[in-house]
Amino acid sequence: MSAYAALTGAGYRAQVRDKTTLFFTFAFPLLFLVVFGLIFKGQAVEESGLSYLSYTAAGVLSWGVANAAVFGIAFTLMQWRSDDILRLIRMSPAPLSAVIGSRYVIALVVGAVQSLLFVGVAMLPVFGLEPASGWPLLVPVLALGVTTFLLLGVIIGSFANTPESVAAVANFLMLPMAFLSGSFFPLDSMPGWLQKVSLVMPLRYLNDAVSHALAGRGDASDVWTGCAGLLVFAVVFGAVAVKTFRWTRSS
Amino acid sequence: MSSASATTGGPPPAVRVEGVSKRYGDRLAVDGVRLEIRPGEFFGLLGPNGAGKSTLIEIMEGLRRADSGTVALFGRPPWPRDTSLLPRIGVQTQSSAFFVRQTAHEHLRTVAALYGAPRGAVDRTLEAVGLTGQRKVRVEALSGGQRQRLAIASALVHGPELIFLDEPTAALDPQARRDLWEVLRGLKAEGRTIVYTTHHLDEAEALCDRIAILVDGRIAVTDSPHNLVTASRAPSRVLLPLGLLDAERAAAVEGVERVDVQGGSLVLETHTVGQVLSAVDRISGLDGVQTRTASLEDVYLDLTSRLSGTAAAAPAPAETTEP
Repeated sequence: MSAYAALTGAGYRAQVRDKTTLFFTFAFPLLFLVVFGLIFKGQAVEESGLSYLSYTAAGVLSWGVANAAVFGIAFTLMQWRSDDILRLIRMSPAPLSAVIGSRYVIALVVGAVQSLLFVGVAMLPVFGLEPASGWPLLVPVLALGVTTFLLLGVIIGSFANTPESVAAVANFLMLPMAFLSGSFFPLDSMPGWLQKVSLVMPLRYLNDAVSHALAGRGDASDVWTGCAGLLVFAVVFGAVAVKTFRWTRSS
Repeated sequence: MSSASATTGGPPPAVRVEGVSKRYGDRLAVDGVRLEIRPGEFFGLLGPNGAGKSTLIEIMEGLRRADSGTVALFGRPPWPRDTSLLPRIGVQTQSSAFFVRQTAHEHLRTVAALYGAPRGAVDRTLEAVGLTGQRKVRVEALSGGQRQRLAIASALVHGPELIFLDEPTAALDPQARRDLWEVLRGLKAEGRTIVYTTHHLDEAEALCDRIAILVDGRIAVTDSPHNLVTASRAPSRVLLPLGLLDAERAAAVEGVERVDVQGGSLVLETHTVGQVLSAVDRISGLDGVQTRTASLEDVYLDLTSRLSGTAAAAPAPAETTEP
């Protein structure tokens, strides 16, 4: 068995055996769907003609997937370093790519299950989401989103030494970003300068691409711009992640 | 490569450490250490907490980079990470370094896969450290001693030639400790090189071919336990049952340097055991008399207290601090 397969297997078992985390990873975005669904039931976003629900469904989905990708890898790396698991791997000939690769596959699977569950629930008659014709584009868009945010999580996981600091740093980045990138509220209702600020946030690009693919907002160029933006952030985060990666707390 | 076998011409030593120093802030944790460990040798690294053992071991393993000096394992530098050298080395992990929510067998299987070791090695290694019965137990549910044995198994599963063990018997009960001695002796018999640290001096005496005693980051002495004890100036002790001889008469015996009552015995310290014994025999007979030669522990305590006096003012920093 390869190091990559073994780490993926161990990661999979650890994931499914932790029922609490498993439950909340998938329930958290759904909670937002329900809350926003109740608040904005029947309303439409000004001028666009889209229902609020289809708007927020896309935003909450992209935020939920990004959040899970960041937190999952950041917690794992921090925990592996403080438990000396990374030191154990460092002393074996297994390549770093096997470590990150195994976590990447797990993050992709988590993202896929999250998306299926979320879209499935949103399509129930109570919420009434009707996916746009471009929905198959969700697959490459969300996969790219997971990639970008996983790399951001690698950076956080390399700096943070405690679960508390992972939560603090990741929340500090992800929550304001969710609001400023239009995940929860339409960007159009924000001041112009704030809309410009959102352009330096990776979640903005994931949001735009998912919004078109799932809810039909904007046009196809939103998907390509979104993917290009995510790709740029992925390259930047990847470069920083390689530079800042630490096998042990003292190195 | 050039310095690897330049001096001997034979196979390179398993470990060669030359002039290695490491500084943390204004404290010199490791100070000009020179060591050579031959293949197949069982080598003990002893020293008080804070003497620099862990730092030195981590430099040998290639986990830390020395400020100056060179390290070579089988003639090759362990730093930076050399993935073709790593399969030849086994490192005991912390007893917390387990993949979470796995059974003992699943954990060891994952470690084996990291090294590309065959699956059969997993069962063999669990058997060797006496964890076959716990193979299906989650790592979180193992006892302290079992966790420690699993950590040792993680160092052995891929059959390394050079094994680093950091206080492998620290959390074990006496029986498990003796069982592990047998495992370690078995590894030595297979020709593997073992470098280990311990605070159990009796254990170092029983297992090690050679030991080095580290005091304040410097190697105070390197030799076989036997030579160290023989060469030491520590006195031997003759233990008489109380009442056999009174303290004044005992003190008058030629060769007796000190008389003391300890644990129900009259203890005579001497450097001439034979002379004292025959004198006692003439006076009172030798019924119930025991003799204790100086142990490695005596040598160790004598050496560390004499040498660490020089830097005693500096507080010993904790070796590890758990969050």
